[in-house]
Amino acid sequence: MENTLSTEPVAKGSTGADKKKRKPVLNLLSPVSPRQAIILGIIGGIVFFLIWEFGHFMTPEESKRFLPSPQHVLSTLYTLLTEKGFLSDIGISLFRIIGSFTAVCLVAVPLGIFMGCFDNMRALINPVVSGARYLPAASFIPLLLVWFGPTDTQKMALLFLGVIFFLVALILDNTRAVQKELIEAALTMGASRKQIVFGVVARAATPAILDSMRNMIAVGWTYLVIAEIVAAQDGIGAVMMRAGRFLKADVIMAGILTIGLLGVMTDIAFRLIAHYAVPWNRKRSN
Amino acid sequence: MNAGTQTHSHSSRSAVIRSVDAARRYLGGKFTAVENVSLDFMKGQVTALVGPSGCGKTTVLRLISGLEEPTEGQILAGGKPIEGPGPDRGMIFQAYTSFPWLTALGNVEYGMNILKVPKAEARERAMQWLETFHLGDFADAYPAELSGGMKQRVAIARTLAQNPAVLLMDEPFGALDAQVRWEMQEMMIEILSREDKTVILVTHDIQEAIYLADRIVFFTSNPGRVKHDIVLEFKNGHRFARKEEMLKQRDYAEIEAQLFVWMREEIQKTG
Repeated sequence: MENTLSTEPVAKGSTGADKKKRKPVLNLLSPVSPRQAIILGIIGGIVFFLIWEFGHFMTPEESKRFLPSPQHVLSTLYTLLTEKGFLSDIGISLFRIIGSFTAVCLVAVPLGIFMGCFDNMRALINPVVSGARYLPAASFIPLLLVWFGPTDTQKMALLFLGVIFFLVALILDNTRAVQKELIEAALTMGASRKQIVFGVVARAATPAILDSMRNMIAVGWTYLVIAEIVAAQDGIGAVMMRAGRFLKADVIMAGILTIGLLGVMTDIAFRLIAHYAVPWNRKRSN
Repeated sequence: MNAGTQTHSHSSRSAVIRSVDAARRYLGGKFTAVENVSLDFMKGQVTALVGPSGCGKTTVLRLISGLEEPTEGQILAGGKPIEGPGPDRGMIFQAYTSFPWLTALGNVEYGMNILKVPKAEARERAMQWLETFHLGDFADAYPAELSGGMKQRVAIARTLAQNPAVLLMDEPFGALDAQVRWEMQEMMIEILSREDKTVILVTHDIQEAIYLADRIVFFTSNPGRVKHDIVLEFKNGHRFARKEEMLKQRDYAEIEAQLFVWMREEIQKTG
């Protein structure tokens, strides 16, 4: 039969309702409500712990202590916090990451915006900066140990080197992505270079810059742990490394869990900062 | 005076903007965007620059704005050569340029802050401009909360609040849907009846050009040059508050047809 339009839409519709096509689970361009997102997130978390629990269950009895159960890791974490002074290690790690990431941002944000605004400065600086991204920061560890010894400075310097070149590159991109017409509009209104760099480009790029910072602090955690594993008496990484020497898998896993939780918390902190510092960029629900 | 029309007079005929044999070439002269442009833009006159894509009409506007410099010839504003952009030549872009981090009110104040208008006065004048553009209720709204037409009204209000001698408009309503575009055109007529601005308008929309302009400059492409320069005599100095009043004019269809013929010549030339 020809593929013509039905002349009886009502009749068609009533039969069609019974065999209404179910939406596929993987549906393109199908948004998820905040409530659904929370439920799905919780399900994902439960599945993760179930897999972990299952792995523990399947492990032969004599090896079980190398893959402790989630409950055991949580109770180890509790003991660490209450009896072993783990809180001060967390504090030291937080001090290192916040200190060095602040230093990174103080350099990378102005430098990235500056390079993004002025093409000749970009041409001057960018080859060095983008080339430096290919140097593995971990390869600086011996040099940093020679220079600073196993100090806080050494650890913060490693984190600084590991993150800064990437953050500059990201902020350069964020700045260059600012709509050209915003700058031209400001120029035709008689705005000065200073007014445009600080009042137009920097402000227009702020949401993207905060996103870049949020993504790079996650990388910062990686370098912090590397630094603390290599040479430290204190900090989360040092605690884990010491535990490793005594094959205490539960302590190592408690440390990993702690870093994960702290990472999520820094992520949330950056989202809150963005929410309040850039109210004009909030996703509007309408 | 006819009902629904405003008489518009050119009492003092002096060129506010004068282009003297201006050319803009790129790639060290290998590519010519526009050349041999000698045009006088008179005080209070609304001129539409029309022509096929790539005819250099936007380039001419950008040369006048000072965002680009002519490679040959000269462009004078108020008798002096143009040295870069300035608030005497306000520009409206096709892309939305209202600053997303400022409220509608903040946007309109922005231009006046640059001109160091005292804060209280700037606020008062900004509110008046928002009222003029029917945005009084949206003073505290961010551009993300406004429709395309409203964003463009904020941008125009912001520019006019600086009281520029010349208003440069680059496809200002090109991104808007047909109905909003029409409303914006009538709003421009309303504003122009009060402000008596010199306006240079780049548009693809032939009807818009005829409706808003007193004069139409038609460009040809490859290389971009002025081909025709006509004054819309049939309007006889009137600006029609309602678009249909203009459409009813006897000579309107003839002008529109003429512009289509010129456009077709250009298309056939390149195609």
